[in-house]
Amino acid sequence: MVAITGTLVQSYNICKRQTWLMAHQIVPDQDHPYIEIGRLLDEETYSRDKKKISFENVVIDIIRSDEGDIVVGEVKKSSKAQESARLQLAFYLYKLKQNGIDAKGLLLFPEERRRMPVELDSDLEQELEHIFKGINLVVSMSVPPPPQKIGYCKNCGYREFCWA
Amino acid sequence: MKKAIYIFSSGELKRKDNTIYFENEEGQKFIPVENTSEIYIFGEVDVNKRFLEFLAQAEIIMHFFNHYGYYVGTFYPREHLNSGYMILKQVEHYLDFEKRFNIASEFVSGASKNMRQVLKYYINRGKDLGAVEENIKALEERVGNCKDIDELMAIEGNIREHYYKAFDLILGKADFAFEQRTKRPPKNYLNTLISFGNSLLYTIVLSEIYKTHLDPRIGFLHTTNFRRFTLNLDIAEIFKPIIVDRVIFTVVGKNMITKDDFEKGMEGLILKEKAQKVFVEEMENKLKTTFNHRHLGRNVSYRRLIRLELYKLEKHLIGEEEYKAFVMYW
Ligand code: SF4
Repeated sequence: MVAITGTLVQSYNICKRQTWLMAHQIVPDQDHPYIEIGRLLDEETYSRDKKKISFENVVIDIIRSDEGDIVVGEVKKSSKAQESARLQLAFYLYKLKQNGIDAKGLLLFPEERRRMPVELDSDLEQELEHIFKGINLVVSMSVPPPPQKIGYCKNCGYREFCWA
Repeated sequence: MKKAIYIFSSGELKRKDNTIYFENEEGQKFIPVENTSEIYIFGEVDVNKRFLEFLAQAEIIMHFFNHYGYYVGTFYPREHLNSGYMILKQVEHYLDFEKRFNIASEFVSGASKNMRQVLKYYINRGKDLGAVEENIKALEERVGNCKDIDELMAIEGNIREHYYKAFDLILGKADFAFEQRTKRPPKNYLNTLISFGNSLLYTIVLSEIYKTHLDPRIGFLHTTNFRRFTLNLDIAEIFKPIIVDRVIFTVVGKNMITKDDFEKGMEGLILKEKAQKVFVEEMENKLKTTFNHRHLGRNVSYRRLIRLELYKLEKHLIGEEEYKAFVMYW
């Protein structure tokens, strides 16, 4: 059994090969411009009301807590990978719930001035558990799934690793 | 894009806020840390622990050369891309003779093929190097039949001896006659250039290894004793003909470096500072040059090519694709 992280959940939705590589601590190319942008965005946006909390192997940003609600915010560069971002956030909510905290989620796309609420209902929970099984299957493979050219490859930090 | 910084003058390197700060009698200079990938020190430079900590945090690696241009060592900050999985795979391929030999022999035959490509280039330009090329080819065919790594190393030494002798015809400069390979200390002008260029390449490959999950202490062709970097020596074999030797042909061929650029040191010949700079600059130009990479289908620089080679090795180690050394085809 592999320790499931938000990044693994997110990648599982994009590319299974990526999931395998990440789970084997083969991290993507750090010179990759998109990674830089991601880091900057994280540091500069919403710094006002952001608190980081970490538990187990997850670090999450709690950005606001109005009216007693705990809201977990996740900042994304663009809504292109919205589906995987949604699942990643759902995973955080799932983790929090396991720890006895009921929270709501909010995906933020500052560059598009857009936000999207995410709520953990039983459907979403089932979807997640299904993904956990899938991740375990992929990660237990002795070699990574072969690369397949998909749209995401263009911006992927593993691009050169996969296609060298 | 991050850049390599070369420091030839003497002075002090310090941390100032979030920049690297270089100071000497002539003045001061700020080097933004986020634009720096690695630092090469040729001059008499003082650093302190605070500065080293800063480099480690910024994941910048620093190479030292002594006053004579000889490689001294590297400040290699604690690995930041650690994959226990990859290290286990690397060790597994080191300990298993068959596995180790396969990788090591690919380094030797890849290097040899690249040397032959260099020769072919000059054969096409009318140089009488056909016999040398044939000799090397014959040696290359024996690579697979070696019974151990020592024998492999001996063949590779033999190949290189033939190849370097061809430099006399390629360069056509009496001052830069090859004679024989002498390393520490190099005894003639050409050997001094080869040694200087190779040392530079070793550090460049080391810098690229730092950005992967490979452990530079575990080489396959060069024997590992876990106290020294050896994987960079292995990978450099493939790129010496493509990068270093072509820089040598340029700087000697265009008289950018002549015999007046050397002086007699205590231990043999030394490349003067001005010529070291010329060489380093030419080397940087080469590394920055891009070309169309057939497999990737887009332009990559020579420096990037080294990284791709490391990725290929990683893929071999995790068992997904057999490693084939890069061979230039132009
Ligand atoms: S480059 Fe493409 S195949 Fe490789 S990990 Fe990224 S998305 Fe997957």
